[in-house]
Amino acid sequence: MNDTIRAQISAFVDGELPENEAEMLLRRMSQDRELRQQAAEYLAVGRAMRGERTFAGMDALRERISDAIDDTSVQQDLESVVSGSPRYLRPVAGVAIAATVALAAVLGLQQMTGNIAGDADQARDAVADADNRGYVVPDQADDQLREYYLRHAASSSYVGASSINARLVTLELVDGVLVETEEEPESDDATAPQTP
Amino acid sequence: MRQLSATATVAIGCLLAGTPSVAATDLSPNDWLSKMADAVKSTNYEGTVIRTRNAKEEVLKVVHVVTDGVIRERVVVQEGNGLEIIRNGNEVKCILPDLQEVRVEEWNDQSTLFSTLPSTDIRFGSEYDVSVVRTERVAGRKAVLLAIRPHDEYRFGHRIWLDAETGFPLQTKLIGDEGNAIEQVKFADISLGKEIHSSALAPSISTDNFRWFTSPKRTITHSVKTDWSSDDLPPGFRVIDSHKEELPGSEKPVTHILYSDGLANVSVFIETAKGKKPARRSRVGASNSFSIQVGDHQVTAVGEVPARAVEQIASSMQSNP
Repeated sequence: MNDTIRAQISAFVDGELPENEAEMLLRRMSQDRELRQQAAEYLAVGRAMRGERTFAGMDALRERISDAIDDTSVQQDLESVVSGSPRYLRPVAGVAIAATVALAAVLGLQQMTGNIAGDADQARDAVADADNRGYVVPDQADDQLREYYLRHAASSSYVGASSINARLVTLELVDGVLVETEEEPESDDATAPQTP
Repeated sequence: MRQLSATATVAIGCLLAGTPSVAATDLSPNDWLSKMADAVKSTNYEGTVIRTRNAKEEVLKVVHVVTDGVIRERVVVQEGNGLEIIRNGNEVKCILPDLQEVRVEEWNDQSTLFSTLPSTDIRFGSEYDVSVVRTERVAGRKAVLLAIRPHDEYRFGHRIWLDAETGFPLQTKLIGDEGNAIEQVKFADISLGKEIHSSALAPSISTDNFRWFTSPKRTITHSVKTDWSSDDLPPGFRVIDSHKEELPGSEKPVTHILYSDGLANVSVFIETAKGKKPARRSRVGASNSFSIQVGDHQVTAVGEVPARAVEQIASSMQSNP
């Protein structure tokens, strides 16, 4: 593997490779396990540098590669990264520079799809819909909780009451993210009794 | 002498402004709430709103028009990122100038930013007291102040300033259990009931080069009878509705139970837990949430109530098949 192809993979991971070159690279990756492995390592090093087992956008990028080349073996190659094999947690000198922009890669993906949600289905839909103005609100701290707040705001409107404040929540969630989220220390008391 | 007389007239006028007028006191608190409910359904308005929370102010420009039952609205945040929300019926466009993005969403509800406050169906008594306090001036208009005071610590208090002429809410304030203002929404200026040109509802900036995003389908809802219930609801709360919804990010439909005491609402969402998670609380504006695992399910309560209320409700949910 030469430096040019390495640079291409790095750019691809960063979301900076022109679309025509990306398609060509994806075709090559479908036939070359080493290239796929290289892309996986680039992703893994960035993750290791941030001390994460995985990161938002990983699923989306994995799905994009997998969908594009329609090869389940790719999924397996990339699964090994997500599963957190210690081999990938060791930064590799040769790809360290590329890995420093792994976060930018995630941002690049976000630009492409408007989505960095970790949910694979959501990410796949967003990638598929990218050309059709696909949508998931980017950079939300907790999409599930956000949905709960929005659904509550909408439901409250039917019963009147204090939903002026609920509607303000909608404004706030469109404008930003959840605030003051706090986890309780894990203890026996933190979990309610089992249901009968 | 003529000058003195004029001064006296102004002084008397000022005194009257701080005293309930005959017209204001003629109506009962519930009459005022009915008048307000009618006003918010049909009144066109345009004005500047100041929202205050956590000692921070945010200024919004608001235009609201109702034509043949269809709501059209424009809300523009005057500071920060300049967010604009344009509503035409159920379609809502959120314009984010800093990101050069337009997000199109569908709101299936009929609420607007300022349209929903206590309805005439609310019965006050055991959980709240409501009273007419006095008349004041808000946004240059004479306003009647209503106080809604809770009897316990499971709900917030409200102060609502209603336009004395139309009943339209000019100012609302949410009061915490220590008497502190949690959130206030107040018109600094307002034009009520006048014809508003459609150009006032158009975006203030060109979105030609913006990226547009359309919302995924948010929900499919159907009413269900659920096995879930609370065995320790705060006093006065009762089930208003229960249904299942499909939410983005949730593999299976989520059970959604809506509780209300007639003024404060709490939603409880129940879905199959994805692994073990510690209990968690969060807050957005005046809304609190508490999430806890109950058996194999994740139970999350969300509402415009104090944190202790959502914690008690979520923690007391049980499945009784």
